[in-house]
Amino acid sequence: MGSYISLPSYLNTIEQRYRLGGKRCEKCGAIFFPPRLICSECGHKRMQKIKLSGKGTVLTYTVIAKGAGPTEFDDLQNMAGDYAVALVELEEGPRVVGQMTYCEPKDLKIGQKVRAVVRVLYEQEGVVRYSYKFTPIT
Amino acid sequence: MGIGILGYGAYLPKYRIKAEENRKAWGNFSAPGVKEKSLPGYDEDVVTMAIEAAHNATNYAGIDPSSLGTLYLATTSGPYVEKPLSSTLAAALVGNREVRTADFMGSTKAGSSALLACFDRIVAEGKGVGLGVASDIPLGPIDSGTEHSFGAGSAAYVIGEGEPIAVLEGSHSITIETLGERFRKAGELYTRDLELRVNFMGECLHESIDGLLGKLNLTPEKVNHVVLQQPDASQSFKAVGKFGFSGEALAVGAIATHTGDTGVASCLLSLAHVLDHAQGSERIIVASYGSGSDAFSLLVQDGIIQRRKQSSDVPKVKDYLEKREYVDYVTYLKFKKYLSTFKS
Repeated sequence: MGSYISLPSYLNTIEQRYRLGGKRCEKCGAIFFPPRLICSECGHKRMQKIKLSGKGTVLTYTVIAKGAGPTEFDDLQNMAGDYAVALVELEEGPRVVGQMTYCEPKDLKIGQKVRAVVRVLYEQEGVVRYSYKFTPIT
Repeated sequence: MGIGILGYGAYLPKYRIKAEENRKAWGNFSAPGVKEKSLPGYDEDVVTMAIEAAHNATNYAGIDPSSLGTLYLATTSGPYVEKPLSSTLAAALVGNREVRTADFMGSTKAGSSALLACFDRIVAEGKGVGLGVASDIPLGPIDSGTEHSFGAGSAAYVIGEGEPIAVLEGSHSITIETLGERFRKAGELYTRDLELRVNFMGECLHESIDGLLGKLNLTPEKVNHVVLQQPDASQSFKAVGKFGFSGEALAVGAIATHTGDTGVASCLLSLAHVLDHAQGSERIIVASYGSGSDAFSLLVQDGIIQRRKQSSDVPKVKDYLEKREYVDYVTYLKFKKYLSTFKS
């Protein structure tokens, strides 16, 4: 079964998906990715747009094998094999979940330094959906 | 201060397939001189490769991508025929709407067209910063020789006012009608070539370079590097044989041996490799091909040495050529999506 995200919803997230656009609270400086409208640390409503570096560290990960992911990723799994999905702590602080690319799951380790790259996440309804993935820094 | 190339960046996906894999599968290999070629990972396309090269270029130039006012993207193998690819690039790089974008498609010459068009705009306005990007993953019928040489790669150039690492000395363009050579009809997936016994490319490269040398009153000895479109690792070098360029002048830009034919990115990727090695005051001639040819001359500036040092963390073409992972023939078919029956 797929996990359908409507195209208008997807479009609302391209700033974060294509260029890691986040938000910083103008009052307490807390950084959010994905971006938030209101600071969940201090309740302040003025948030400044920032671009995150995309560099981070793998805190933990899991490996998605055949049948384990949404159907959008079936062809990826068929053609490129099992893939890892990691919880990454970005150097600015936020923690984010992302697919790994250019990375054999067997070679991935907790603590691996990674950077974000833009890749094709999947295609649906003829539309290519691009998003960040993480790749080991070598 | 002046207008010129402020920075450049290249990108090659890490996967390679050796020519011998093709020979094992089909009993032949029809890309002279190509020992191995690059191919994208399953989740890469010309847009993602363009983004990688563009980031390298802006990092090299030391500019904030959000300052780009022009973004021209060339490819022959985009995921859409209608729906701009440059808009995705703009959203990924620039992050605001005030940017002029255009997609250059339909010919392997589109890369130099995009670069020269970017130059034209910046020169016309006398200010600003733009980016010309070429990115390609040409795809041929798997049971034909056309696909044997088709690789993958991208290159991006920041053009603007500032401290250029190279300036445009002049250009000379020609256009010819070609029939039966490298074409893909609307609705078709694969690029075809009827392999007629004609030498359109040889004629064009010769004529554009000859015209450029004449215009600038140059002799071949005055040229330090010659960078050519490389559909394989042999044809284009034969085509310019009559000029008598030295072996050294042709050597640095000859990278198709390791990448295969990178389509619109071919000569701009090779140019990036030359710029990685170039010294101040050198002259580089670049000639593209695709139903015609753009030949242009660049004069490398002394500042390139310092800029190269300052951008030492930006991967160079050599880094990409060395950081490679070989795949077998079936993996190659899977990564280039020849075997996907799934249709989105």
